[in-house]
Amino acid sequence: MSAERIYRLLLRAYPPEFRAEYGREMVLLFRDQCRDGDVRTVGFWARVLWDVARSAPALRAEAWWTPGRENTRTLEVIMKLAAMLTVLGGVLGILNAGVEWGAALTGTIGGMHSLSLVLGVFASALLLAAGAAILRPTPRGRQAGRLALLASLVLFIAARLLFPWMSVFSQLVGIGLPAAFLIALYWPSKATPSGAV
Amino acid sequence: MVTKRRASPPPEAYLPLPPATFHILLALADEELHGYAIMKDVAARSEGTVRLCPGTLYGALKRLLAARLVEEGGERADPERGDERRRYYRLTQLGLSVVRAEARRLDAMVRAARRKKLIGVRPA
Repeated sequence: MSAERIYRLLLRAYPPEFRAEYGREMVLLFRDQCRDGDVRTVGFWARVLWDVARSAPALRAEAWWTPGRENTRTLEVIMKLAAMLTVLGGVLGILNAGVEWGAALTGTIGGMHSLSLVLGVFASALLLAAGAAILRPTPRGRQAGRLALLASLVLFIAARLLFPWMSVFSQLVGIGLPAAFLIALYWPSKATPSGAV
Repeated sequence: MVTKRRASPPPEAYLPLPPATFHILLALADEELHGYAIMKDVAARSEGTVRLCPGTLYGALKRLLAARLVEEGGERADPERGDERRRYYRLTQLGLSVVRAEARRLDAMVRAARRKKLIGVRPA
C-alpha cells in the first residue's frame, strides 16, 4: 500500500466537511512532504500519526459545537427528544396533581397544599406548552418555549416552597427538567474572538 | 435595502495567539502562499523548532479563514513545483493588524525579560 493511500485512510479521522474542503490540499501537501523527506522512517510516520491524533479530535469537537455545521441535525434530534420528554413531563405533572387532588378530596387538605397543587397544574401545563413550542423549529417557537420554561420553573419553585413534602420525582421533573432545558437552549451560542483562532 | 455589517473585534481581542497561528500569519505577512510553502517558511524561520503538519496547518487555516484574518487568494500551480493547482492564502487587513499587535505584545515581553537581565542585551 502506498504512503499516499495510507494517508488518505488516515484522513477519514477528520470531519467530512473539513475533508471535503481541505482533503485535496492535505493530500497534495503530504505528497510534497513525501517527495522532500524520507517516507520510510519511523520518525516521519510518528509525526504524521501525532498530527492526525492531535488535530482530528479537535476539529471533530469544533464541528460538533459550531452551529450550522454537521452537528445541526444531531442537535435538532436531541432537542426534539428533550422537547418530547418535556411534553411527557408536563402531562405526568398534570396527572400527578389530579391524582393528589382526588386523594386529598377524600381526606383533609390544607390551604397551602391546595394552592401548591394549583400552581403545580399551571407549571405542568406551561412545561407541556414549552415542549410543544420548542418542537416548532422557528425562532418565535423557541422564544415562546424559553418563556414558558422560565414561568414553569418559577411556579414549580413557588409550589415547592408552599408544599415542602413534594415528591423527589415531581421536583426532578418540575425543577430539573426546565432548568436543564434552559441551560441547553442558552449555552452553545457564545464564542470569543480568541477562541476562533 | 440596508445591510448590517458586523463590526470586527479589535486586534487585541484575538491575543495571545497560539504559536502555530502566529507563525502562519508571519509567513503570510509579505506574500500569499500555498500550504506547503507556509509549512516550509515556518520550518525555515523557526530553524526547525516549529514543524507544521497538514492537519495542524489546515485546521489553523480553517479557523483563520473563519475569523477573517486570512482569505483565499485563488488557485494556481506553483511555478517552482510545476504540478497541480494549489490554493493560495493571504492576510487580510485585520490579520495584518492582529499579527502586528501580537508582535508588539511579544516584543514588550522580551524587553521586560531583557530589563530583568534574563536574556542578553540587544547588540548595537
